[in-house]
Amino acid sequence: MNDIEKNIREEAKRLLDENLVDLVIGYQEGTLPLQTAPVFISSGDEVDKLVFNSCCKQNLAIYVHAALKQHHQAQERVKPEDKKQKVVGVIARGCTSRSLVIHLQEQQYLREEIVVIGVPCSGYIDKNKLAEKTDGAEIVAGSVDGDTVTVETAKGTTKLKLDEVLAGNCLTCAYNNPVISDFSAGEIPARDCADEFAEVDEFAALSESERWDYFSREMNKCMRCFACRNICPSCYCASCFAEQSQPEWVGAGINPSDNQVFQVMRMFHMAGRCVDCGSCVEVCAEGIDLRKFLKKLDQDDQNLYGHKAGVKLDEPSPLASFRENDRETFIFEPE
Amino acid sequence: MSQTTEEWEPKIVALVCNWCTYAGADLAGISRLQYPPNVRLIRLPCSGRINPFYIVKALQHGADGVLVSGCHPGECHYISGNLIARRKFAFLNNFLNYIGIEADRTIFTWVSASEGDKFARVIDEVTAKVKALGPATRLIKTD
Repeated sequence: MNDIEKNIREEAKRLLDENLVDLVIGYQEGTLPLQTAPVFISSGDEVDKLVFNSCCKQNLAIYVHAALKQHHQAQERVKPEDKKQKVVGVIARGCTSRSLVIHLQEQQYLREEIVVIGVPCSGYIDKNKLAEKTDGAEIVAGSVDGDTVTVETAKGTTKLKLDEVLAGNCLTCAYNNPVISDFSAGEIPARDCADEFAEVDEFAALSESERWDYFSREMNKCMRCFACRNICPSCYCASCFAEQSQPEWVGAGINPSDNQVFQVMRMFHMAGRCVDCGSCVEVCAEGIDLRKFLKKLDQDDQNLYGHKAGVKLDEPSPLASFRENDRETFIFEPE
Repeated sequence: MSQTTEEWEPKIVALVCNWCTYAGADLAGISRLQYPPNVRLIRLPCSGRINPFYIVKALQHGADGVLVSGCHPGECHYISGNLIARRKFAFLNNFLNYIGIEADRTIFTWVSASEGDKFARVIDEVTAKVKALGPATRLIKTD
């Protein structure tokens, strides 16, 4: 058990025992090696389940939203004098805290309804990179010790450097400490990271037809399982355009064009709202690199409007605000 | 398609604002200005009302080009509808081009109610641009 785990367990126990929160959402050991699963703790006796390590992949903000929305709906028909407030505690690293900020900006719940237990994070292990390094062999055991990852497969034991298997979004992430927190379990210096838009610039330099070929090939893999939407903390709508039938924005068949339209529109909804937590890439069963496209919206957000999703609580999202002198170089003027 | 390129005429969907561009198109008609008949106008209350989905769906269902036009910034009937829309379009325009849709398939412009001649010129030039690109092949739904 590391110091961070000790701190979050103590803090979670205190919050639960003193009835300051009704629920703590965190990570627990998963059933597979080098995996963790979300855990929902409502009693101080269970805090020993909590873990925090380089295998914590999910962005927990989506579960905070789900728990509070469910509570709000249950309270709708309660008499005003009997209404109860539910407070949710959450283990939040950089990207999770940015998602919480987005929820607060979009008035999904109140600041006093959440208690943020901040944890420093230096990145998580990408399952695709790990599979590549181990030739796709089944992982029977694994452990992380400092900068070394030890992976045991049927073919033998491999020792890897942590940086080799960290997810792409973690390698370019400078938000190693949460942007909002009520309790801090520790702090680490921000990563000296590479240019986060290098991949976008490289892709944009290709010709239009090369870009389209890549996009359509990637989208052909999509089977519209909607895992990317379901895991995304910014995709919290109760009813989604993807399932709407009047009008039917996305056809129900297997037409590749419907895959493309679904992905274009889902990603477009992320404009100025994507915190680059990499959850959609992590859960994609077909290994589609959605991040390559989402980063473009992030880049525009930064270059055109000087905004970064979920970093400042009092800064409105780019599509909910405007300036008179916004750049309009794309506007066509006839000769 | 059995048509040859010479016969081919592009289909252009124009999503226009009720207060400026639609009135501008009206003025072009009243002034008897000539412009190509390739454009299909869809009148909406405001350019801010244009769901980016309309543009993507038009492309999916066979439009060779999509023109979006509203009031000039500062002249919106609803004060700021077009300013909100401008940001949406900037994101969408860049994003569609980034995934490989030709830049001239989606065109955004401002035409006010008094600019009948500008409306005719816009349609002229947009039609020429889309004709130069040829029939749309990307994002199209085929059976």
